[in-house]
Amino acid sequence: MITTTALTKSYKKVPVVRDVSLRCEPGTITGFLGANGAGKSTTLKMIVGLVRPDRGTATIDGRPFVELPNPTRVVGMLLDASAMHPGRSGRATLTIAARLAGVPTRRVEHLLDLVGIADAAEKRVGTYSLGMRQRLGVAQALIGEPRALILDEPANGLDPEGIAWMRTLLRDFADRGGTVLLSSHLLHEVQATADHLVVISDGAVVAAGRLDDLLASSTILVRSPDPVALAAALQVAQIDYVAGPGDALTVDVSGGRVTTEVLAGVARDHQVLLTELRQSETDGLEQLFFSLTAAKAAPLQEAAA
Amino acid sequence: MTTSISPRTLGIDAAPSAPGPIPFSRLVRVEWAKATDTRAARWLLALVALSTAGLTLAPVLAPTSFDQTYASYLGVAAVGLVILLPVVAILMFTGEWSQRSVMTTFTQEPRRIRVLNAKLAVSMVLGGGGAVFGGVVTAAGLGLAAASGRALEADLTVGALTGYLLFVLINVLAGVALGALLQSSATAIAASFVLPAAFAVLGTASTLVSDWIDTSSAWNWVLENDWAGHVPQISFSIVFWVAVPLAAGVVRTMRRDVT
Repeated sequence: MITTTALTKSYKKVPVVRDVSLRCEPGTITGFLGANGAGKSTTLKMIVGLVRPDRGTATIDGRPFVELPNPTRVVGMLLDASAMHPGRSGRATLTIAARLAGVPTRRVEHLLDLVGIADAAEKRVGTYSLGMRQRLGVAQALIGEPRALILDEPANGLDPEGIAWMRTLLRDFADRGGTVLLSSHLLHEVQATADHLVVISDGAVVAAGRLDDLLASSTILVRSPDPVALAAALQVAQIDYVAGPGDALTVDVSGGRVTTEVLAGVARDHQVLLTELRQSETDGLEQLFFSLTAAKAAPLQEAAA
Repeated sequence: MTTSISPRTLGIDAAPSAPGPIPFSRLVRVEWAKATDTRAARWLLALVALSTAGLTLAPVLAPTSFDQTYASYLGVAAVGLVILLPVVAILMFTGEWSQRSVMTTFTQEPRRIRVLNAKLAVSMVLGGGGAVFGGVVTAAGLGLAAASGRALEADLTVGALTGYLLFVLINVLAGVALGALLQSSATAIAASFVLPAAFAVLGTASTLVSDWIDTSSAWNWVLENDWAGHVPQISFSIVFWVAVPLAAGVVRTMRRDVT
């Protein structure tokens, strides 16, 4: 379990992170979505004690990170895959992490296999591609058999196959009860990986919740060959609607009172034939994201392309 | 805003809780490995050995320019050692900031003072090891000189040996302090060569500087075991070159945001 309460940080009086509160439960993958520079990395670094917050607290399993006796046995992290000594081999890098964490070094071989860089284990990290460093970083994050993972832009530098591999790995980790918090500026990446979402813009959380809820359609489209009769029926039933698209009607269901079943019943009661009755097309995460972070939409579209 | 959802499974959280703190001995062993396991580190250590051995040949090859005594030979080895050994110490404290692997180090052990203490311990071991190596090289040099039929004065006392060891350790500590304070390899290495030279130049203009700050006086008194009348100056130099920058470096390391 990872929680933060009102984390706040400014650099030279410029606010970078403002009152960010998160709660990541075991068994879930939380996507931390925001444009570059929105404050994602700073927030993650405050959680793991690398950056001191001006205000606010963060805890892992109820304790501040800096009070964990041997933190990497509780939470594994990949914050920057390029922050490794280029002169050390992949195996040596993992071995150092394993020794410090106090896990048997045979786990190093297991993880080298798991992340698929066993063949390059003896090569120096300086010769690795970004994707290989990312895989090595994942291995390092997993070295202490943690219960939680914090990953900053884990998809960076991975090819499509690598991204699919990463998704499977994280899903499996969460399904076994692990907690995952991952950041990304790529909408479709988060959409495909996370089940919870926290959207950050200009250092502040602008949306948070279950991905399904955030994406759920708030309108139902209903169509009849006789739209006038349908509209009359809805008026009698005191259901608000707007005309369109086309000759269909759109019903706002955000209040929760009206469902497709209710509408079908109204149509039956008034002997109106329905040819279409469904949730409106969801606008998708992209639309949601842009609407939530309007000011940041332009650079994001580029990044997502 | 807060998001909340009940856990799907509890398999992982039900695992036994994490083990206790990382023992200090483990931190030291890992820091030792990090200081010695890369190609760059090994080259640098080889250079330290080479410069020490090379310089020790000087009194063998130029007997007229050097006192032909055990202490004199040992002093030359010490000077050879402290050309590059402090650089090894500097890199131990700056390298991880430059490579940004502090991110890993300080998340594996967030009590940064323990990491600094481990690095300090390793640098003292390296300093002590260097001093032993210097002693061996000195013995070899003396052996060569004796084999050439030279008369050598066996003037080594416990005091002289202590002065030699302290000289090496103080130089290493000054490197540690600079590295801990500046946290940048290039800046700290440059400073370790420029600052003493600059104060030596200033020392020619002011006896105050030459007596109290210029390391070429203070450290040489230590090396020559010449403490009489120099204890205040030596103490001040240690405060100036080791204690103050090290303390400031510890505070800076504890507070610095790793970005």
